[in-house]
Amino acid sequence: MRFLRLYKTFIIQHIKKLMEYRIDFLTGAMSFFINQVTNIVFIGIIFSQIPNLDGYLFYEIIFIYGFSLVPKGIDHLLTDNLWKVAWFIVRKGDFDKYLTRPISPLVHCIIESIQFDALGELLTGIILIVIASVKLSIKFTFVNVVLMIIAMIFGAVIFTAIKIIGAAIAFWIKQSGSILQIFYGISDFARYPATIYNSVIRNVVTYIIPFAFTAYYPASYILRGNNPLFCIGGVIVAAMVLLGISLIVWHKGLNAYESAGS
Amino acid sequence: MIYVDGVTKEFKKVVKDSGLKGSVKSLFNRKYNIVKAVNDISFHVPKGEILGFIGANGAGKSTTIKMLTGILTPTEGRIEINGQIPFKNRKKYVKEIGVVFGQRTQLWWDLPLVETFSVLKQVYQVEDKAFNERMAFLNEVLELNDFIKSPVRTLSLGQRMRADLAASMIHNPKVLFLDEPTIGLDVAVKNNIRKAITEINEQEKTTIILTTHDLNDIESLCKRIVMIDKGKLVYDGSLTEMKTQFGKYREVNMSLFSNEDFDKLNFVSEFKVNDEDIKINRSKEKITVTFNSEKISISNMLSYILKNVQVKDISVNDVNIEEIICRMYGKEVSD
Repeated sequence: MRFLRLYKTFIIQHIKKLMEYRIDFLTGAMSFFINQVTNIVFIGIIFSQIPNLDGYLFYEIIFIYGFSLVPKGIDHLLTDNLWKVAWFIVRKGDFDKYLTRPISPLVHCIIESIQFDALGELLTGIILIVIASVKLSIKFTFVNVVLMIIAMIFGAVIFTAIKIIGAAIAFWIKQSGSILQIFYGISDFARYPATIYNSVIRNVVTYIIPFAFTAYYPASYILRGNNPLFCIGGVIVAAMVLLGISLIVWHKGLNAYESAGS
Repeated sequence: MIYVDGVTKEFKKVVKDSGLKGSVKSLFNRKYNIVKAVNDISFHVPKGEILGFIGANGAGKSTTIKMLTGILTPTEGRIEINGQIPFKNRKKYVKEIGVVFGQRTQLWWDLPLVETFSVLKQVYQVEDKAFNERMAFLNEVLELNDFIKSPVRTLSLGQRMRADLAASMIHNPKVLFLDEPTIGLDVAVKNNIRKAITEINEQEKTTIILTTHDLNDIESLCKRIVMIDKGKLVYDGSLTEMKTQFGKYREVNMSLFSNEDFDKLNFVSEFKVNDEDIKINRSKEKITVTFNSEKISISNMLSYILKNVQVKDISVNDVNIEEIICRMYGKEVSD
């Protein structure tokens, strides 16, 4: 409860801050809208060129694509500050502040900001899922929907955990933005059916950096009824294992933090 | 209250040649040096004391403060404050301390100052009643009311520092760490801040550790000082004691009718002393000779000067603590 109250306070402060600079806020909101419209148009153009990919129908691909945007969007919305940790908060020694407050430093820097741009990803994702579902006339049952939501939430945890690890590397090497970008870039593989890749990439995105569990596997359960134990259970296991690893790395990182001269 | 026992902090530093070439070389072939920023220091601070923590730039002051506040983990040694080990029980520990880094701010940069206080109130879980009393006290001592509604980014440095000081005390900490709280401030604001620190210390019995380059801060606030140099503790004791211990130096201030006259004087050969026993500082209006009064008596010094040059004005003074510290560092303190 205390966490939620704090979260609310921090987010309200963040929104107030955004509104403090009115012109920037309005421009941002507008560019966000334009961005989303162009995104959808582009996806339409690209996919209209690929009617069928490795046995997947056009709308199945759209469904997986849309699915992939939701966990990514949730993570993007809530934990964007981790990028700043990777790029400069540690390097400049500004991380000191988090260490002198009686909140977990990880929680503190996550709740400090909210990235509204991510709403665009979420919105696009949901629209694509809805369109694809209608066209494919997917039957949604209660179980189906609950499992999908669970998979999306844990999928977001996979993203967050990987970002935590990427950001924590900065505690040792001072600036880990590029490393985090590489990790994050791999998530683009998750937008398409994992079966189209060769076995090396497939194994990497399944077992090592398990982005395939953020979209393809859970989506394939909804689309084709593939084994839910692997497709949905796998998301949960992957998310919990990664989260565990990321917290260990983060805490080791805190002890290695060197601050900066002042 | 505060126990520091044999604490050492090592940093691994990359050794790099200068220029782009050096940077490229270092990209492929890194050489490291282990630097002991803090080297085996121990001291103890009882409750309610204001301890002045001094040393030249890069002596290890900030590193020590960062270890005491739990930001950095010591490589060796033990720190215990309020019965807790800072970096281990961090969340619990930091509830009882306040920290001000003069070079940084912990205020919410884009929002009115009052917002920072209300967020911190929640972060530290301060009750409404305690919060209001606290704010009233801080308002009175630090005169925040004039600018409490202004966005932090618009505050002057002096206002910001007062605000930061207030922000560090919203939760009534038992220990306060002030790392250069008067840096860059004008004399009036400095006095203001000193007064506030004294008042807080007296009213709340807050233990305060203060680092500063401004020795007036030390003289007006601290009875005891700890000095470190190159990571090592070089002095721990009272300010008066330091003055007597290092107070054998005196200075003669004089102005002459003709400054060229002064060239006739050669103290080293006259008194047969070493170079370090004599220091001369010349400017157009004033010449200062600092000397070791255990080797050269004041009367000999004066009569030698008066015999050889035409003096307009002359006086003998104690060396101020700035001078003492300069000597202890073995180099000039630039400000």
